[in-house]
Amino acid sequence: MSTAEQQADPPGVLRRARDRGRIEVFPSVVAAMAGHAAVACYGVMGMSARGLRDGVAQLLRRENLDRGVDVHEVDGQLVIDVYVIVEYGTRITAVAQNLQSTVRFEVQRLLGVPVGEVNVFVQGVHEDTPSG
Amino acid sequence: MKTRPVAEQKPQARPRLVDGQLFKLALLGSLSWLTANQEEVNRLNVFPVPDGDTGTNMLLTLQSAVEDIRESDAKEISKIAALAAHGSLMGARGNSGVILSQIFRGFAKHVQGKAELTPAELADAFEEAANAAYRAVIKPTEGTILTVAREAGKAAKAAAANPDAGVDTVVRAAARAAKTATDNTPTQLAILHEAGVVDAGGFGLQVIFEGFLKTVEESDPAAVPARPAGSGKALPAQRSLELPEEGWGYCTEFLIEGRGMSVEEIRDNIAGMGNSALVVGDEELIRVHVHTNEPAKVLAYASGVGTLARTKVDDMSKQHRVILDDTVPAEPQGNGKLAVADAQRKRPNGVGLVAVVAGGGLTEIFKGLGVDAVVEGGQTMNPSTNDMLKAVESIPYDEVLLLPNNANVILAAQQVPDLTEKKLYLLGTRTVPQGIAAVVAFNPNRDAKANQLAMAEAANQVQTIEVTHAVRDTTANGVKVKKGDVIALINDKLKHSGSDYGDVVSLALKDIKPESYELVTVYRGDGAKDKDLKVLTEAIGRDFPGLEVEVQDGGQRHYPFILSVE
Repeated sequence: MSTAEQQADPPGVLRRARDRGRIEVFPSVVAAMAGHAAVACYGVMGMSARGLRDGVAQLLRRENLDRGVDVHEVDGQLVIDVYVIVEYGTRITAVAQNLQSTVRFEVQRLLGVPVGEVNVFVQGVHEDTPSG
Repeated sequence: MKTRPVAEQKPQARPRLVDGQLFKLALLGSLSWLTANQEEVNRLNVFPVPDGDTGTNMLLTLQSAVEDIRESDAKEISKIAALAAHGSLMGARGNSGVILSQIFRGFAKHVQGKAELTPAELADAFEEAANAAYRAVIKPTEGTILTVAREAGKAAKAAAANPDAGVDTVVRAAARAAKTATDNTPTQLAILHEAGVVDAGGFGLQVIFEGFLKTVEESDPAAVPARPAGSGKALPAQRSLELPEEGWGYCTEFLIEGRGMSVEEIRDNIAGMGNSALVVGDEELIRVHVHTNEPAKVLAYASGVGTLARTKVDDMSKQHRVILDDTVPAEPQGNGKLAVADAQRKRPNGVGLVAVVAGGGLTEIFKGLGVDAVVEGGQTMNPSTNDMLKAVESIPYDEVLLLPNNANVILAAQQVPDLTEKKLYLLGTRTVPQGIAAVVAFNPNRDAKANQLAMAEAANQVQTIEVTHAVRDTTANGVKVKKGDVIALINDKLKHSGSDYGDVVSLALKDIKPESYELVTVYRGDGAKDKDLKVLTEAIGRDFPGLEVEVQDGGQRHYPFILSVE
């Protein structure tokens, strides 16, 4: 599908050759899209900074959503890693699968670039406290 | 959506309290009603990912929720609700399934320790269930199942404020509010408005409330053991593990298709033949679930009323032993069942074939062509990635070609390569004829890569025409379709509609330049009528004398006819 990428490109910039010029999208943009799609997913209580520091998953604030997402390119396809905190008591495999298909679908819909993989890393669980 | 006419209220029959057994029956009512509406829910599914499986996912989740409560005699609602919450959690599938499991979880938490609920307590529990569902998402999308759950809870609460309110009043208010909220979803979520549908998950929840209401409205006071006031403590609930004297009998389930059937009459008759009878549906389609010692008698009676479908008879003593043995129940049946071909000699190239197929005839065809394992699935019953993975792992080859044979399955199939140690080659076959053409092109003496290319090439050369009925009014690709029309899809895209199989198929064949093809293979689906087949084949013979027509039994669901043109 996407054969437009050249080796000479600066790393980390997605390109699609088009008839009328070039469109470049930076990985941080893809990450933001993926982050927004992810936090709208049911059962996802937040993004978490990738990698654990001292074994503690850190819930990211709203404006830092893209920090819980890693975007890279493998063989001309997007590979997206998302790091999330999931609600305790949900079936985590089902939430993760929904997350994969939603992120894939949203990024493909918004960018028109095929997504090769969406990898979900559940970094922690959040337990709800009934308020009222 | 048919709404049930509200009968004149009969105060003497109105349940005043919900105990475990009424709640259980009501959930079984929800299950039946959702089963009957599953396809419709699937069709509506456009958000968040338009993969047409919301109904199936919700149904599998609800099935898992009621699996453990079916045989429970527990009188306490807390026990039944806890079983339902656990079951739905373990079986949750898809987004709406996960939300549904949270709804059950919230309900169960709220009724903890309670034996029965007053109408007001039931309303509180509905509301708390919705609140719990909202707590598991940070950015709730309105115009979805969540909105419907909240509105139903709110309405139940308002109805319960009336001191005369019965259980039925509360549930009716919830069901009605669920319908109103579902009808409103297109005003809240733009993509629904664009597609001209209501939210699939919301509609699914509406159906669940409606099924619940049916049971509550029809519940016979005798079936709800009303505890006389002041009779003190009830006897301890019988441990459900004791074997009743007459044995467990057979859990018998089937559908009756017919015309002008009387649900009431059939219910009375079937109720006389066993217990836990559940008979729901309308004049044309009735779903029956009954526990009986004489399943043959029930089936004989029912086959006199109409045509039987999806008959399932389970020996409950056996099921019970399975539970006692603490055996983990198998994955839900009916979806992604595995049929591994008999052991055969290994191929010289060491490459195996796995195909996704729906329909007994098609399974035979694919196996006859040498496919090593067939995963059952297809339109609206998408097998999970895991189902496909199991099939891939089950065959004695380290290199495997996987054929999804359906556009909706490709996404799940793409996940399989990451999960297996085997080298997997995915073919992008989107239809059954493409799959068959690809398998025919397989050469056991060439390596996997060469086969993948040759098979993809072969798949591209076949034209697929799928013929079915429209389930709702819609416009797609500029084709206007009315509910009930015969429609034809060419290579997965809607192209023609009309009232006659012959006309529609002729139009479709004209589109694909019939002069460059020689053979039309008609795969006859489950439920396709002889007279429709005759109309269709005669039309091809009349309009395209140059094409040879061959009919094969496909047994696929949803599409009465799939045509392969090559």
